[in-house]
Amino acid sequence: MVNKGFAKHYYLMLLPGFIWLILFSIVPMFGIVMAFQDYNPGLGILHSEWVGLENFKYMFSLNDSGTILFNTVFIAILKIIGNLLIPLIFALLLNELRINYLKRWIQTIVYLPHFISWVILSGILLDVFGYTGPVNQMLSVFDVKPILFFGRADLFPALVVGSDVWKEFGFNTIIYLAALTSINPALYEAAAIDGASRLQRMKNITIPGIVSAIILLSVLSLGNVLNAGFEQIFNLYNPLVYSSGDIIDTWVYRTGLVNLQFSLATAMGLLKSVVSFLMITISYYLASRFANYRIF
Amino acid sequence: MKSMRKGITLTLITVLLILTACGNGNTASKTDNVTQDPNDPFGKYSDIITINIGKEVDSADKSLPSGDTPENNTYTRYVKEKLNIETKIIWQAGVGKDYTQKVNLSIASDDLPDALVVTDTQLRQMVKSNQLADLTEAYEQYASPTLKSIIETTEGLAMKSVTFDGKMYALPNVTAESDMQHIMWIRKDWLEKLNLEVPRNIEDLEKVAKAFVEQDPDGNGKADTIGITGPQSGGLLNADFINPNNNNYGFDPVFGAYHSYPGFWLEGADGKPTYGSIEPETKEALAKLRDLYAKGLIDQEMSIRKDAQELIKNGTSGIYFGLWWAGGYGPLADAIKNNPEANWQAYSLLDSNGEFTPHMGTPSNQYLVVRKDYKYPEAAIKMENLLLRDESTFDVNVGIGNYPLRIVFAPMDEMYVTYNMMKEVMAGTKTAEELDIPGYKLLKADAENIKKVKLEPYDNMDIQYWDPNADNGAWKRMYSTMVGIAPLMEPYKKTYSLTYSQTKTMESKWATLDKMEKETFLKIIMGAAPLDTFDTFVEDWKKQGGDEILAEVAELAK
Repeated sequence: MVNKGFAKHYYLMLLPGFIWLILFSIVPMFGIVMAFQDYNPGLGILHSEWVGLENFKYMFSLNDSGTILFNTVFIAILKIIGNLLIPLIFALLLNELRINYLKRWIQTIVYLPHFISWVILSGILLDVFGYTGPVNQMLSVFDVKPILFFGRADLFPALVVGSDVWKEFGFNTIIYLAALTSINPALYEAAAIDGASRLQRMKNITIPGIVSAIILLSVLSLGNVLNAGFEQIFNLYNPLVYSSGDIIDTWVYRTGLVNLQFSLATAMGLLKSVVSFLMITISYYLASRFANYRIF
Repeated sequence: MKSMRKGITLTLITVLLILTACGNGNTASKTDNVTQDPNDPFGKYSDIITINIGKEVDSADKSLPSGDTPENNTYTRYVKEKLNIETKIIWQAGVGKDYTQKVNLSIASDDLPDALVVTDTQLRQMVKSNQLADLTEAYEQYASPTLKSIIETTEGLAMKSVTFDGKMYALPNVTAESDMQHIMWIRKDWLEKLNLEVPRNIEDLEKVAKAFVEQDPDGNGKADTIGITGPQSGGLLNADFINPNNNNYGFDPVFGAYHSYPGFWLEGADGKPTYGSIEPETKEALAKLRDLYAKGLIDQEMSIRKDAQELIKNGTSGIYFGLWWAGGYGPLADAIKNNPEANWQAYSLLDSNGEFTPHMGTPSNQYLVVRKDYKYPEAAIKMENLLLRDESTFDVNVGIGNYPLRIVFAPMDEMYVTYNMMKEVMAGTKTAEELDIPGYKLLKADAENIKKVKLEPYDNMDIQYWDPNADNGAWKRMYSTMVGIAPLMEPYKKTYSLTYSQTKTMESKWATLDKMEKETFLKIIMGAAPLDTFDTFVEDWKKQGGDEILAEVAELAK
């Protein structure tokens, strides 16, 4: 191998990531076998009794399984759509703003919520949408009876998705704005001279210019399709909204950590991983097919 | 190529090092030749031994003097000085849910401290996983006579809960019986302001709650008051056989008034065991609660609100259900700080025949366990001996929660005795010196303290005849006792659960049934599902393992 231009310190820089990956992603994989055992902590993974697919059979016999699988996919897909579309539209609109300092101000303000943790934000949301909170007071002006927002199973997914999009759209906008700066301004000038309206310029220059960023972000988010957001839902939900708000992660938490049914929780966790793996494979295929995006 | 191979080797070595470092969890005690007097419950070890513990830490407890920590404070130093036992905290977690979760994690990863305090469910899991030391001998030899006598007052109940295959796997606590009955706390100053009687049954309660909501009892001109406080997010609607004691802000007295005991295993009309949650009385009680909620008399944000106590502290709510200690030790200290007139008093809620019919709990709900291979299992027991003997001499200004591995040991009748004796002390017929009775560890101190915080007349318990500022610690205990225990001094009808621990099928199926029950009941009360969902619930409950479990309970109850 020719070592020209090769520096060993690049490998050194790889090291922390490599260790992290092994410790937190590869080693815990062995825990998967718990799903096929009657896991007994005293005996450990090596000596616990094997029960084959028993845990999976029981899992699918529960009424819950279908519900939480549906909730997870439903909430996650809505979040993906919202988190792709809203920031895109917002970035396009912000890009058209000609007053530069205002643009920077808005940009800064809208990404701030990204830094608040869900533990705190959930408290704020529960107050804002509370029975005597500002939202209900506003509604009372229009003679609407107070609504118990976080007690309504039909409204819960909308609230979860809405609040998540609200929290993240400013931050996601940054990527689009970065992509927008890479478009050659000469194109706009030329188009303007040719008589293109603003809308036409947006359609023919801006959007094609960032289409690769859009596709990249969609592909990346597909891998996350079953991560509907444990932290957020855990802090907002209650038994009234289990039917539409309980997701795989919260269920696994309750089953495994609260009720000490380790094997059952692992089985459900494994199911999630399998589905996620399929989704990543499919999305990678789609990305390489339609956007010529390849890692390898 | 060479350098690359080197790089990879280096990486692998580092990774291996880290992995082995992580795998090396439990370090065995090093001192081997420690001796002690073989049969002395208070004997001092000849050398310092170390006990690693997991500790529940209350972040609201600001009582430690600066420089002291949960690991090194007046109590841990006392234990070290008297017994030569040094406590090391290998992890700590917040009181309640955080701690339970941390213990669950420790169990799951088989990485346990030498000793810790666990719940019934955790104890059973640990016994099943063969993680615990057999304490039979250590208990026989080292438990002090007082400790043994307190455990004996439960007439075998406490021992039964920790004995598996004839071996004793934990030291059970014993709580006073008064930690089991749930009573009604109400703002008497609001009642007086609105010219209302103290509600004694459900109909009265409804009337009073309605007045509290509609007639502006706090007099601020706004319709912002709440009648009855409900459970907070994650709280329980009713106590159940797994958590039978200490369920503040639930609706236990309302269920009790209908002779409904959800979450409890009862003897049915046919003599066979049944489950309280599937009985018609429970449907009746749920219908009433649903009605009260729909009328706006129960906190509309119950089960969603993050902290139910807030409503009492800030003077929004006028009624809550809870324990005798949920007075002074609960939110009332803050409530009275915010509003010195908040005259919270406690009463029992009666059934239609005028009888108080609460459910009872179990005397043991905390268990002190020792890790299987720990060398000195008796050390944990000795620490409890010491606590029990000397608790009354400790300076109460430092929160007793800082005592390492503390579990409650109280004779079942402790609070009743305290209540009666305090009446005598106030009447002048008993003195503190006469009340130095072994077992009743705080009685003497109580007798010395009560006149500091209770003002004359001694037979009126309204808040204006107390002085919380004289000694807040003493006030909390005495107000809770004199006001909270009073309703329990009347005769009443006790209902016990047939069992307070889990059967085999429950280990795998209970979580599902329990979730279904809590979800259904909450939906019924809050109007998110029709009342008749109850019937579907009963059917589903039986089908999804309930019948199987009932059969096991029947076997157990024989």
